[in-house]
Amino acid sequence: MARLPLAAHNGPSACALAVALVISLALFAAGLSAQTAKPTEYEVEAEYLSNFGRFVEWPATPAGESFHVCVLGQDPFGAMLDAALKGQSIGDAPMAAKRVATPEEAAGCRILFISASKSAQLQAILTALAPMNLLTVSDVSDFTKRGGMIQFLPEGDRVRFEINLSAAQKAGLTLSSELLRVATTVRREP
Amino acid sequence: MPGIRPYSIRQKLTWMNMLVSGAALLLACMALAGYELADFRQTLERRLSTQAQIVGTSSVTALLFNDPAAARNTLSALRAAPNVMSAAIYTAAGVVFAVYSRDGRGGGVPGQAVTPAGTEEHRFTSDQLILTRAIGFQGKNIGTVRIQSDLHEFNDRLLRYTGIVGMVLAASLLAAFLLSSVFQKATARPIMQLAETARVVSREKKYSVRAPVTGNADEIAVLITAFNEMLEQIQERDTALQAAHNELEASVERRTAQLEAVNRELESFTYSVAHDLRAPLRHIQGFAEALREDCANTLDPTALGYVSRVVDSTRRMDQLINDLLGLAQVGRQEMHFRPIELKNLVEDVAREVAEECPGRNIQWHIGELPVVDGDPGLIQLALYNLLSNAVKYTSPRDPAIIDVGTKRDDGERVIFVRDNGVGFNMKYAHKLFGVFERLHRREDFEGTGVGLATVQRIIHKHSGRIWAEAEIDRGATFLFTLEPRA
Amino acid sequence: MTGTARILLVEDDPQDVELTLRALRSENVRSPIEVVRDGEEALDYLFCRGLYAARSPDQPPTLVLVDLKLPKISGLQVIDAMKSNAAFKSIPVIVLSSSGEPRDIAESYRLGVNSYVQKPVDIMEFRKSIRALAQYWLEVNRSPFAQKPLKLQ
Repeated sequence: MARLPLAAHNGPSACALAVALVISLALFAAGLSAQTAKPTEYEVEAEYLSNFGRFVEWPATPAGESFHVCVLGQDPFGAMLDAALKGQSIGDAPMAAKRVATPEEAAGCRILFISASKSAQLQAILTALAPMNLLTVSDVSDFTKRGGMIQFLPEGDRVRFEINLSAAQKAGLTLSSELLRVATTVRREP
Repeated sequence: MPGIRPYSIRQKLTWMNMLVSGAALLLACMALAGYELADFRQTLERRLSTQAQIVGTSSVTALLFNDPAAARNTLSALRAAPNVMSAAIYTAAGVVFAVYSRDGRGGGVPGQAVTPAGTEEHRFTSDQLILTRAIGFQGKNIGTVRIQSDLHEFNDRLLRYTGIVGMVLAASLLAAFLLSSVFQKATARPIMQLAETARVVSREKKYSVRAPVTGNADEIAVLITAFNEMLEQIQERDTALQAAHNELEASVERRTAQLEAVNRELESFTYSVAHDLRAPLRHIQGFAEALREDCANTLDPTALGYVSRVVDSTRRMDQLINDLLGLAQVGRQEMHFRPIELKNLVEDVAREVAEECPGRNIQWHIGELPVVDGDPGLIQLALYNLLSNAVKYTSPRDPAIIDVGTKRDDGERVIFVRDNGVGFNMKYAHKLFGVFERLHRREDFEGTGVGLATVQRIIHKHSGRIWAEAEIDRGATFLFTLEPRA
Repeated sequence: MTGTARILLVEDDPQDVELTLRALRSENVRSPIEVVRDGEEALDYLFCRGLYAARSPDQPPTLVLVDLKLPKISGLQVIDAMKSNAAFKSIPVIVLSSSGEPRDIAESYRLGVNSYVQKPVDIMEFRKSIRALAQYWLEVNRSPFAQKPLKLQ
């Protein structure tokens, strides 16, 4: 068992700890106040979005710029995404959420969540996004089959995901084996 | 030290050596083993910690992305560690996320995790090591990994160490014993030899032996040298003592010979003097008697009276000479010791004495008398003198009562002759046994004053003692012993 | 051999001689008594030599009274000389001595005396001894020399 994580970032301890604590408390309080304290599907997905970035090799972000996690189309997350990204950074770049309407606007994003509202234009969007080295994530069905990189697969209480490795490779992104491990399927079509 | 007493020095030395080396070795072994085991525990703990870290790190994505299967997969790799009994990953909420157990039963895994204080916590129970480590991601605790390990390696090691220590100890004790047996000889042998020498000296009183000297200069050698010097001194003293003793004995012999010679001379002188005195005495009496017979008619009563007194005096002188001769004889005669039936002898002498004075009423009470060792002739003479005295001094008594018996006085056997006669004044008792000493007037009682002196000489020749007790007019008792005071 | 008894007295002390003679006379012993004053004279008398050369040898004494303490030749020597001589061996010899020493007595008997009498100091005792002596040796005892016992006159 000698797989060392690729993204073993040491976050600023005090702040991170405080955040963790707050989140834990919130969840705990939520758990206390409500009978069912399960996070919603989109909460989890937002969490995942914030975490994916840690398991991908990114080219260095220029100084001063943020690490954008964008949403294309109708935003199902809302404040949840901002909450998930709050205080997080990848490298020195703080993570920030951004909503875009067109693929072109997603040029500065690192991770792009394609909403189901855009499922009809999926192929065109993907083609448009091809030259950008960003990670495409969606919950649209057959996303990975159609060239998307990560597809959310809600399963009951949990959210699983599929990975299209070759798509990611085409975009010049190297995905951590750790991430691959927890994916339900990893497609490696040439 | 109680219980050590009956052992010899050699055994003590050996025991001591073995004890010392055993104790030292045991301490060393225990210290070493203890350190080793403590170190090993740390090693175990570190290894488990490492395993926990690895598991934890590998479970990050599983936790983050809620993939228990992946976590289980990670945990199952712990099968390769034979000491891991079970392991579990808990979520940040403390809920079980994934479980692994070696025996497949999953027992002993608590449902709720105990969050470690700090990053990691470990606890040693009697047979387990439980390590809990927080799984961190981006500075947050996203879960806990808990691994339960058995301590069989530790126990194995402990057992093995014990075995080794035991064997080493046994082997070294054996070696200590063997070496000690060899080396204690060098130390103990001089002591044993010294002890043996001392024993020989004490038992056989031989002071000519010497303890063998060692070549060393240690305390034992000093002891041996001192001991030998002591023996030397004793021997010298012994020799000097012996020489002094011999000289003394020679001196005593010389003196005794001198005294004996003087005694002999004296006795011989006494004898010949007494003997030679008899002839003229005979003549005096003879011619006085002749005078009385032949010239009776020409002599007046006064003259005749004088003649009588002359005759009486010669008779008296004859008695004196006889007694003196008797006294001298006692000294000159060789003693022939043999057992004497005293009672028979006393009865014989009593009869003889009684025959010499017929008409006297004498009651003889002769008690049980022992058999004594002595010269019969001399004892008879002594008894004769004593009994005649008793008869003589009881002449005013009717009846005269004479007791002869024996009694025990202060452990000694004493023979006594008691009479109910006129007795004497104890004030003059010290004169009783002197030659020619008399305590009564001649008109009252005949006697030369030699009789008791003779008795005393006879008793002294038998190494006994003689003394008398009396009261005026109440009789006298003469007591004597016939053997030296024990 | 005549029938008369002849007594030889060997005694050196004149007082003793007189007292002995006195005693014998007082006991009515009338036999002739020859007195010699020392051992040499005694032997001269017996062997009829010296002073007594004129004596007839066939008249030996029938009884000899001898004192042990004598000058020149001692009484024991005289006894020895007599008892080792066949002619005089059978003559009764009586020792008359003031000594009562067992040694003297033993030696005398060893030499063959017939009797040993100690001269007591007490004259009456002496007289008694002489009487007994005379009675026995002169009356009771059968002499080898006399034909018949001689009555005391």
